[in-house]
Amino acid sequence: MAVTTPAARTAAAPTKTKAPKARRRPLRHRLRLDWPLVVLTLPAMVQLAVFFYTPSAYSIIAFMDYSPYRPLWENPIIGFTHFQILFEDPYFVDALLNTLQFAFAQLLFVFPFSIVLALIMHSVVSTKIRSTFQSIVYLPYFFSWVLVVSVFAQVLGQDGLLSRWLVGMGGERLDIMRDPDSFMFLAWMQWTWKDAGWGMIIFLAALAAINPALYEAAAVDGANRWRRLWHITLPSIRPVIVLLLILQLGSILSVGFEQYQLQRAAVGWGASEVLDTFVYYRTILASNGESLGTAAGLFKGVIGLLLILAANNIAHRLGEQGIYQKS
Amino acid sequence: MSAVTATTAVRARRPRRDRRPVWDEKPSFLGKSAKALFLICYAAAIIVPLWAVLATSVATDDALARSGGDMVFLPTDVSFQAYREILSGGAVTKSLLFTLMLTAVGTAISLVLTVGAAYGLSRPGSVWHRKFLTAALVTLLFAPGMYPSYLVVQDLGLLNNMWSLILPVCFSAWNLIVLRTFFMTSVPGELIDAAKIDGAGEFRTMFKVVLPMSKAILAVIGLFYAVGYWNTYFLSVLYTPGLETKPIQVLIQQWLIASTQPSGQDAAAAAAISSGMDNAPAASLKMAAVVCTIIPIVVMYPFIQKHFTKAVITGAVKG
Repeated sequence: MAVTTPAARTAAAPTKTKAPKARRRPLRHRLRLDWPLVVLTLPAMVQLAVFFYTPSAYSIIAFMDYSPYRPLWENPIIGFTHFQILFEDPYFVDALLNTLQFAFAQLLFVFPFSIVLALIMHSVVSTKIRSTFQSIVYLPYFFSWVLVVSVFAQVLGQDGLLSRWLVGMGGERLDIMRDPDSFMFLAWMQWTWKDAGWGMIIFLAALAAINPALYEAAAVDGANRWRRLWHITLPSIRPVIVLLLILQLGSILSVGFEQYQLQRAAVGWGASEVLDTFVYYRTILASNGESLGTAAGLFKGVIGLLLILAANNIAHRLGEQGIYQKS
Repeated sequence: MSAVTATTAVRARRPRRDRRPVWDEKPSFLGKSAKALFLICYAAAIIVPLWAVLATSVATDDALARSGGDMVFLPTDVSFQAYREILSGGAVTKSLLFTLMLTAVGTAISLVLTVGAAYGLSRPGSVWHRKFLTAALVTLLFAPGMYPSYLVVQDLGLLNNMWSLILPVCFSAWNLIVLRTFFMTSVPGELIDAAKIDGAGEFRTMFKVVLPMSKAILAVIGLFYAVGYWNTYFLSVLYTPGLETKPIQVLIQQWLIASTQPSGQDAAAAAAISSGMDNAPAASLKMAAVVCTIIPIVVMYPFIQKHFTKAVITGAVKG
């Protein structure tokens, strides 16, 4: 990304003819020229310093025998003990395994669903149908998880629409909102309902950018619709797919908090505990968990960082664009 | 909804529309109907639950009793009693007003920070440009833990304070990148140079030249921020559990989700919310609250929807 290499500097310079001249001047002169830009940027940088960099530095608590009742620097550093405790803690291991399960389920079932949805949408010729459909499926993305869970309870809950209908037909009530065993399926339905439509937006844009002459040439050469899909469409949107895959990999340990916390009471913690809820219930609501929770959070952050760097590296080696080589 | 605007927009360029290219083979009837069925089912899965929520919110006791309890699908007679009750100054009204204020204040702060930083960083080669940009982009790769963030908020004395719902999340590097990319690629450099030559300083250039050209993208970014504040739940659970007036999402959680659990404390909190609302059925009251939470989103949505793609693509491709 924004690594300050000499190459990057020279690459950035020609975009503005004034830049190289300004760079050679002493800081005082450059400040006199650019102070409005710095003033405009500073508030955001202060926000980052306070609410991103300070907490990042506080992560050192993970290596301390921390107590909130003494000043930070008086806490003794004890190394990796808390990480060791974490991995011997069955609750943490369960939360980690659950998180990985949810993350892979999202990767395997929601992500491809968005691609398929985009392909189907793209093949609809009528603009009217397309835009109507798009306005419907984007909408739930803007709903909070509280709303999504509430609406789901109204339809799939014990007293919901479907249960009522089933009882009316002489069947039994649905219990899916409370059943720990099927929570994964429920979570999948909720992700799909909320996010899959929105997920297709970027694929649709990539599909729209494909040169139609390619399709025409292929059709003239006798390629049918499936071969055109395989040989033109999919290779054309591959960079976008790879890009989104990398981003998903980077956030593989952060599957979110709200969806699981909201349904924790209904399905039990065993099925719904993820890393974020583990940290919340262990440090914020309980006492003496500060170092342990920070260690779990730091573990999550570092693994996310490593995954995103590794995935990007692999993408580069495979000849894909990846996320950053620009800016 | 926005289908109306889409139709009129399309009608203007009718000759080129909806035409299958000559080289494309006609789809089989089976394939076509499978596709239609899939799309209809998917759209129905989104619309039907929302319709049921809306129908229940305007239902009367009779209608609810006839349908056997909590949900109505086809309202026979419409009553807005539930809306009258929840909007007449009780806990729900207070919470809605509080959340509206939170959203307005938060969005304003977020836009000021993001526009300032995006404009300030839109000139490669200016002082500390790369340092600042790197500092912002690092936030996309790493996230500090929940407890250290909590500690910072605590140190600042912001626990159980409205500002703890705004300040920690008021700046997003994604939106910075979207806006900065827009400034750098879609605002012609000649215009900025011309303004400079005419004697306009940076601030005047920004307000008079760059921002008026960026209204659409500012609207989308504003919407993203606003939706974030309107949907505040996690931050409130984390930082402001003791706040008297709660954000609307927390209130709905207490009223609708937690109250179904067998816990005395949650039941009491839920009862406190609906105390004094006796003239409308309980199910209608709850669904009316849900509708009130959805309405601001649905109202904003059609205006901004057409710009979604642009904003999302700018952010994703140039990041």
